[in-house]
Amino acid sequence: MGSIIDGSLWYFSLTVFVIGVVWNLVRIVFGKRKADFSIPRDSAVAGALRTLISRFIPDRHMLPRISLQVVAGYMFHLGLFVLLFFAAPHVRFLDEHILGFGWSPAPHWLFIVSAQFAFLGLIMLWLHRVINVVSRLISDRGDHIAAILTFVVMLTGCLALLETFNELRLLHRLSVELWLIYFPFSRLMHAFTFVPSRMFTGAWFGRRGVGS
Amino acid sequence: MKFLSIFALLLFVATPLAGFAAEDDKVHQGIFVENPGTDLWRDVRQRNFAMEGSSQVKSVDSNILINPQGDEWARFRVGVLVRFASITLVIITGLLLLHYVTGGRMKIEGGRSGRVLLRFSDFERVAHWTLAIIFLFLAITGLMLLFGRPVLIPLFGHELFSLLASASKEGHNLIGPIFLVSLVLVLVRFVTRNIYASGDLNWLLKGGGLFGRSHVSSGFFNLGEKAWYWILILAGLVISVSGVILVMPNFGQGREIMEMSHKVHSIAAIVLIAVSMGHIYLATAGTEGTLEGMKTGYVDLKWAETHHDQWAQECQDKNLTISSEEFARLQGKAVDKSSTVAKEQG
Repeated sequence: MGSIIDGSLWYFSLTVFVIGVVWNLVRIVFGKRKADFSIPRDSAVAGALRTLISRFIPDRHMLPRISLQVVAGYMFHLGLFVLLFFAAPHVRFLDEHILGFGWSPAPHWLFIVSAQFAFLGLIMLWLHRVINVVSRLISDRGDHIAAILTFVVMLTGCLALLETFNELRLLHRLSVELWLIYFPFSRLMHAFTFVPSRMFTGAWFGRRGVGS
Repeated sequence: MKFLSIFALLLFVATPLAGFAAEDDKVHQGIFVENPGTDLWRDVRQRNFAMEGSSQVKSVDSNILINPQGDEWARFRVGVLVRFASITLVIITGLLLLHYVTGGRMKIEGGRSGRVLLRFSDFERVAHWTLAIIFLFLAITGLMLLFGRPVLIPLFGHELFSLLASASKEGHNLIGPIFLVSLVLVLVRFVTRNIYASGDLNWLLKGGGLFGRSHVSSGFFNLGEKAWYWILILAGLVISVSGVILVMPNFGQGREIMEMSHKVHSIAAIVLIAVSMGHIYLATAGTEGTLEGMKTGYVDLKWAETHHDQWAQECQDKNLTISSEEFARLQGKAVDKSSTVAKEQG
């Protein structure tokens, strides 16, 4: 079982992930769209870039109503980013198995704190999704599977933190592989699609001279 | 000549026997060999306090070769603590089962009213369930570590238990500090409603109506719920502070402080787990309609009148109750018209 997880299943999941993500992005960026006949009043490119950045800052009128999602959202995403790309075991893995080069990992305490931020953020976000009526109604099974699968990946990684037991490492790797296979077919794709999504919206408004 | 021969023979046989006897005496007396280390090791080991020496290693407790208090702590952990935890959890489980079997589920008097009122906001429920999820994870992993030797090793064997113990320890240490954050959220959000109010003593004197089946007047939270809240906060803070001392051994704390922290951490955790079992029982199997408050945020008006009549009256005075149909609409559920008509006619 271990050899399958470390071998064929790993390559299969990585292939599904890469092809799935690239296919989705190509479909979005180069897909057919209606021609925009509106008279350009301002730069679409500037609007696209402006919206890409401005969407990181929540609207101040909305903030009192969405403060939980904003705080928990930032905690989860920043925590996960540090965890994924700067945890020493992950940097080592990327170096040895995927990229062939590495970078300086975050100190152990930062790795732990970022994992704690990510855990707390994810738990609160998922609970909000289940508890808040509007969030619950606009969520489907895929949203819950994505959240739970991400949580399982983080949890198995946390349990294997000591890096002593091969079984725990395999459990973590298996959960990562399932996550990678699920990724292109789910809302997890927002990790990539948020960029074209914001830019298209920004370009559309920017061309019409509307701030967004 | 014959006599001399017999004498010589006896002498021949007796001499080795005498030698063996002399050797036996030597064995019984023991052989004393001067060992210059004996007194040193006796000084190091056979005392009930840690003897400080000198060492080139400069760190906390590095000048103590053997700390006898560690033995005492280890005996406490595998003996007293495991017994205390087992007895406490068994007694609590027994009491809850007894209450359920003898009294059963406390039902809403007169059935549901068809009107509901908001009890907990979205944020309050997110804070509650965040704390609950983290607490349950920590309780399970903590109990796995505590009961490993007497329960899990006989069940799973050493090899699987070592894996479970490693996973539990790492999970417990990483998730532990989040407990403090979620505890502070609950502390801040619910503190104003958990301060002692007039009438709470009356609730206590009547035993909260738990055993007599008679309901006692109370506000938003009764004294039992307030007691649970303060036990959670105080025991939670004790667990959190002692846990931080244990999980971050790089702030100069020595073994004695760590051992003391471990004792305090474990005892407070067992108390909190035991009381939380009561809380979970009363909120789920023990009382009809209570869990709805933490699931949907809304409770039935009859439930509120039964358990928190003063708060229910306040809400009614302010016209804060809504119909179950309106509640269903707010929850995004289709309203069952037939049941509504039947209820109105009935």
